Amino acid sequence: MKKLLPSFLAALMVLALTSGASARTKLTALPERESVTIRLDNPDATLIEEERVLTLQAGENLVDFSWRGVSVNPDSIRFKVLSHPEAVTLLSVSYPPGEAALIWRINAAAPLEERVRISYLLRDIDRLVAYRAVADKAETTLDITGLGVLRNFSGEDFDGALISLDGGALMTTPSISGETRRAVLFRANDVPMAKTLLWDSNNLPWEPEREESDVSIPVYYEFINTPDAGLGQGSLWEGKMRIFQDDGYDATIFLGEDNVDFTPPGAKMRVKIGFSRDVKVTKKRIGYEELNHRPSRKDPVLRDRVERFTFRVENFKDTPVALEIVEHPSGDWEVTEANVKWERKSSSELVLYVALGPGEKRELAYSNLTRDIWNR
Amino acid sequence: MKTKSIIKVALVISLLLPTAALAKVDLVTLPEQERVQLTIYNSADLTLARDMRKLTMREGENRLQFSWAGTLIDPTSLELLPRALDRDILVNDLLYPARVGGVGVWNVAASAAGPVPVEISYFTSGISWRAFYMATLSQDEASMELEGYVLVNNSSGEDYPNAETRLIVGKINLLDRVAELARRGDAPYGRPIGSRPMPQIQYEMENDEVAAPRAVAKMMMGRAAPKEIVKEGLSEYFLYTIEGTEEINDGWGKRLTSFSAESVPVESLYRYEPERYGEGVIRFISFANDTAHKLGGEPIPGGAVMVFRESGDDGALTFVGARETKYIPKEGEVNLNLGVTRDVRVKVTEMSSAKDGYEWNTYKQTGRKYIEGHMDVLSYKVEVENLRGQRSTVEVRRNLGWNFWDVASAGDYGKYEKVDADTIQYTLNMAPGEKKTFEYTARLRRGTLAK
Repeated sequence: MKKLLPSFLAALMVLALTSGASARTKLTALPERESVTIRLDNPDATLIEEERVLTLQAGENLVDFSWRGVSVNPDSIRFKVLSHPEAVTLLSVSYPPGEAALIWRINAAAPLEERVRISYLLRDIDRLVAYRAVADKAETTLDITGLGVLRNFSGEDFDGALISLDGGALMTTPSISGETRRAVLFRANDVPMAKTLLWDSNNLPWEPEREESDVSIPVYYEFINTPDAGLGQGSLWEGKMRIFQDDGYDATIFLGEDNVDFTPPGAKMRVKIGFSRDVKVTKKRIGYEELNHRPSRKDPVLRDRVERFTFRVENFKDTPVALEIVEHPSGDWEVTEANVKWERKSSSELVLYVALGPGEKRELAYSNLTRDIWNR
Repeated sequence: MKTKSIIKVALVISLLLPTAALAKVDLVTLPEQERVQLTIYNSADLTLARDMRKLTMREGENRLQFSWAGTLIDPTSLELLPRALDRDILVNDLLYPARVGGVGVWNVAASAAGPVPVEISYFTSGISWRAFYMATLSQDEASMELEGYVLVNNSSGEDYPNAETRLIVGKINLLDRVAELARRGDAPYGRPIGSRPMPQIQYEMENDEVAAPRAVAKMMMGRAAPKEIVKEGLSEYFLYTIEGTEEINDGWGKRLTSFSAESVPVESLYRYEPERYGEGVIRFISFANDTAHKLGGEPIPGGAVMVFRESGDDGALTFVGARETKYIPKEGEVNLNLGVTRDVRVKVTEMSSAKDGYEWNTYKQTGRKYIEGHMDVLSYKVEVENLRGQRSTVEVRRNLGWNFWDVASAGDYGKYEKVDADTIQYTLNMAPGEKKTFEYTARLRRGTLAK
């Protein structure tokens, strides 16, 4: 069920004289596509490259390229001579008025069978990347399958196209307009991973006990895109990742899904899978003190202050938990005392790292000095 | 009556046939479903279905056609997993044909001919489960019987007459609703942005199968003993596996007993905190999900709790109230809010509001004096009355609204504690009919005294 684009090369006209003179024209048979490649490297635009063999006569030839029922970006159309680049010259490109077409004026040094490559950006055909990952029961490794999805709603049928992504061949397949095809891009097994719970004081209530509905802490899987991990052949494109887990009974459960970011080789991919309700964090501000407190109606004076926060962290699970607590101090701040490992990630992000054993409950605390002035 | 939908799997011969000729291919086998496993989530409208079948494959390329018209299956979730170990089976790709909704075709390469067990998995919408509970307090309200139930409902459009049923307790991260993905028709992954819709054509399935009649009778039949539910933690979730198989047909619901615990010790807790609950006293039933309370085998999923109380020796009951409970982890404590009660009364009266402790300073230029620090001294009387016939614990929480303060308490105030930088709490243990009165004075340090 071929559709519109075969009329791309609507007519091949060979002129013995220049196009301005009274012409002796000859209409040749339309050449079939010899091959076509659908290049999906750019997620925003799909490049079609097709090769055809033109029969050129010596002198000037006009090649009429038109399209109907599809959306081609006319500015993107390129014409490349492959067989005899030294004997064939592209002289000009013209756009006929009111038509979806262009005309190449080509000079051939001699009568030639010439293989040419025509490239253009075609709309309404693109690709998605998706991932399916299965964690082992202990949640230490992932088997990751990368999936490429070709969505062809362009109006054009391709009999047997080479689908290319990141410069590599994904598959050779027919692609009918209106169909979607999903194929495996890669498989990487036993990729080491870590699981982390992320409690962010800006997003979660400080006292979950006082909430009427469940408070749950986001859970992330993390792994690195490296060759050691069976990945690292290239960047991992952004896309939806669905994560399952081996349940130990020759079956899986679905853990959750997330849109993952573009991840170059060597970088870490972080995937939010779901939420934990078996770990509880209760934060309290138990102390507030102002240092150098000398309010004056005249001069600015120092107004440093120290806040003390406590965290009761409780692991109700019978497995260990890695927890990150994210705080958002502001201004000129400094942690003066803490009974937990911490890191200043930015001027507005302080991360506390907590490792909890099965069933462990701990009290964490830190004090934060904020330097300020009383300016009024 | 609802149009019957059906999932069909067909293995077709299509060696070297172009995709466009798909509707003309010959149907070779329509393999029977051997086993179905449903894993049903309660935090989202999602069920993971695993459908085990045995296909007879040819050596070389095979096409496996799967159709699900009228169901609520997410086509992007479709997976084909060959279970054969004795030969190479390679799933090359999955095609969603043009202008056809509800059909997928796998291209599968087999190294040798013969039967191959395969698993087809997918997400479907329309099957749900929820937990609910019945608590029966003893007459003295010192203990209760707690019964947990799960209710599975199927409105997916598909019958599952013999399904292994598993329930997931937990909250997954889900980007798209399965029901919406199921309605995408001939564009399961959506369309490129700005593309035009295409007219639909009717796709022809060969050898249409007639749906099996709904096996109503089996749904209604009882069992000699209640089914056991096996519970196990996986990742951040809990997996409930219902013993044997279940008949979960479209439109039906099924209630199963999840657990039952007798003589669970409970405490009645009363809380007064106007900023949070308004002016009433709120009643809670407190217990823990642990072995000391004859529970603790697994987390208790959130759900409605209907609370009854035995009102006489003949087993008569009174209905105390119903509330939603949150998820209760193993070893977690529960304060089940039963709403405003009149059985315990708390009255707080402001007795005085004064200023004290002035600190003076002088403007250097004018010589005029000004106050740069002082204290607000606020005194309150708190009256607590237990009108119940049982002993009760009453928590009175006071929010001071200021960080620099000290508090002096007097009278029968029980246990005093500083909750956080600006909150205090009194906890009183009240005998039946008892009335207690206490006072407290809060001195709030302002200005230069605020340290």
